[in-house]
Amino acid sequence: MKTYILTRILLAIPMILIILTIIFFVLRILPGNPVMALLGPKAPPEVVKAMEHQMGLDKPIIVQYGDYLGSILKGDFGVSAYTGVTVIQELMQKFPATLELTIFAMTIAVFIGIFFGTYGAYHFGRTLDIAARVYSIFVYSFPVFWFGIMLQLIFGVWLHWLPVSGRSSPFMIPNHIYTGLYVIDSILNLEWPVLVDTLYHLILPSVTLGVVISSIFVRMVRSNVILSLSSQYVVAARARGAKEKKVIFKHALKNAMAPILTIMGLEFALLLGGAVLTEVTFSWPGIGSYLVTRITYRDFPAIQGAIVFFAMFVAIVSILVDIANAWLDPRVRY
Amino acid sequence: MMALLEIKNLSIDYLTRNGTVKAVDDISFSVEARDSIGLVGESGCGKSTTGTAILGLLPPNARVSGSILFKGRDLLKISNEELRKVRGKDISMIFQDPMTSLDPIMRIRDHFFELLRAHYPKMDENEMKKISSEALKSVGIEPSRLNNYPFEFSGGMRQRTMIALAIALQPSMLIADEPTTSLDVVIQEQILEVLRDLKKTKNMSMVLITHDLGVVAELVNKVVVMYAGHLAESGDVYSIYEKPLHPYTKALLESIPNVKLEDRELRYIPGSLPDLKNPPKGCRYWPRCPYVKDICKRETPPTVEVDGRKVKCWLYGGEINAGIDKTSSAVS
Ligand SMILES: Nc1ncnc2c1ncn2[C@@H]1O[C@H](COP(=O)(O)OP(=O)(O)OP(=O)(O)O)[C@@H](O)[C@H]1O
Ligand SMILES: [Mg+2]
Repeated sequence: MKTYILTRILLAIPMILIILTIIFFVLRILPGNPVMALLGPKAPPEVVKAMEHQMGLDKPIIVQYGDYLGSILKGDFGVSAYTGVTVIQELMQKFPATLELTIFAMTIAVFIGIFFGTYGAYHFGRTLDIAARVYSIFVYSFPVFWFGIMLQLIFGVWLHWLPVSGRSSPFMIPNHIYTGLYVIDSILNLEWPVLVDTLYHLILPSVTLGVVISSIFVRMVRSNVILSLSSQYVVAARARGAKEKKVIFKHALKNAMAPILTIMGLEFALLLGGAVLTEVTFSWPGIGSYLVTRITYRDFPAIQGAIVFFAMFVAIVSILVDIANAWLDPRVRY
Repeated sequence: MMALLEIKNLSIDYLTRNGTVKAVDDISFSVEARDSIGLVGESGCGKSTTGTAILGLLPPNARVSGSILFKGRDLLKISNEELRKVRGKDISMIFQDPMTSLDPIMRIRDHFFELLRAHYPKMDENEMKKISSEALKSVGIEPSRLNNYPFEFSGGMRQRTMIALAIALQPSMLIADEPTTSLDVVIQEQILEVLRDLKKTKNMSMVLITHDLGVVAELVNKVVVMYAGHLAESGDVYSIYEKPLHPYTKALLESIPNVKLEDRELRYIPGSLPDLKNPPKGCRYWPRCPYVKDICKRETPPTVEVDGRKVKCWLYGGEINAGIDKTSSAVS
């Protein structure tokens, strides 16, 4: 198992290298010049020249590529053309916001997925199953933007129950930052009003993202649980007198979880795509918003950095999924 | 005395998209305490359906009618919770495929603990360990293997584990649905040995489902022969072997591969099982029966008693066949 995980990590490296190379060249092929974006179309040519030189954009593209690889190896991901700060510093500062949002959204999605999926499978063909299927088809058709704006309208603008943008209200940031996850930091600091404020801000974005991705989970859980419910060990467990609850959750769902986890790992990239849209809709100061802002500025190092960071995130999650799988399934573990 | 298990007029239909499968049609038989009965017939004749119905484990598309009296209680009428308490404690069941009968991600021990907790929620862990170890030992598996996962067991060991689980709470009845069919010959013999042993040592009735009369002969004292959902013949094992009454029983006995036969050709019953969505009118066996008469195609034969056996065949049915000498029937 250890060697397997090590291999997985080693295999992730070429994958990230490929993504990095593609994004590097695509950015340079696409129209749009970082200097123009920064200085505006009316800037005098000599200023533009000087700026290009300063960013290294006048060097041959291969040299630029080499420089960029060097900056990745060094671990600073280059320097932002827009702020002059190393990209890694900016990413590390934004990442906790994205992580916090995705964790909450994922929890909501998993909860909905397991609940609707399992009960749908158990009541195969009956009302609850049809409800689960309708829910999943309905939600699948929601564009993230639209759904987010709907929730903002209803719960923010009309009902005034929940904030519609940002991670926290002014002066409601944890006093001491340990992890960057405000929920955890505010608990560590025992700052309860901050915790409540943070949770308030989390509700709408994570419900938006969670509900949208829950559609895939409901389907996955449902079809896998239907499969495991029809297996012989389920009948055998019933024949032993096992209670229905045990049969459903301990036998059917747990056995269905291994394939579900694998797919969840694969779907994670999709989740991040949804996270970008959610962040923009809710002005959530995470890597998604960062990426979108920097795209308008043609901030090449920042865009590349954010994409590579996402790729690493996906790779790490899929390795974690494998570990979780091994923990669930003894046949993988041994 | 009341029979331990009494099945009366049991009929089971499966509702499917393309029609209703009449898998079991009006069968009745009973199992006395300490009886071992063999439920035999070709593949698809409704043996598993009958066995599974006893514990109420049929899939949701099954429709059951009739009654299944266990110690006088109708298992078809009691609540789900009451039925659950019967399963594994009063009546246990083992299945054809031991490879998939154990939960692949659960330790053997937890299978036992699940059984014990289901029936004795307050039992402490030491007690549970003791009972599990003993059950496993009684089928010839080291108690240290309790910590293993099913995939570390061979097919034979898994089936023995299933048996150990089935008998751990000393049920009064064990239903075994083709417990050896998917195993190779040597392992089959091992499993039969375990069952033989159980029969001797435990005070337990058995319902042994099989398509191979030869396998069960020495294990059972009564045989119920099914054909296409009908009960063709039932009675004492020796007399059925000596002199099968129903033409189907006779054909079935002749199809048993006999190693002593000079010509080692495998015999089989010509023709095939009818489509249970559209069973033939009258006796369901008539299209394959060498003794077929007009009435067989028109009317379902009644079940009559002959020599203490029950048989459902017009050869023995009422006045229509008054001319036929029952005791030296045409079949033998
Ligand atoms: N869930 C189901 N839905 C529809 N038809 C079914 C279902 N299960 C079984 N049947 C049909 O019912 C009939 C009896 O099946 P059953 O499994 O009881 O036969 P069997 O005697 O146990 O055969 P085998 O020796 O192959 O196990 C068969 O025709 C089968 O196709
Ligand atoms: Mg069967």
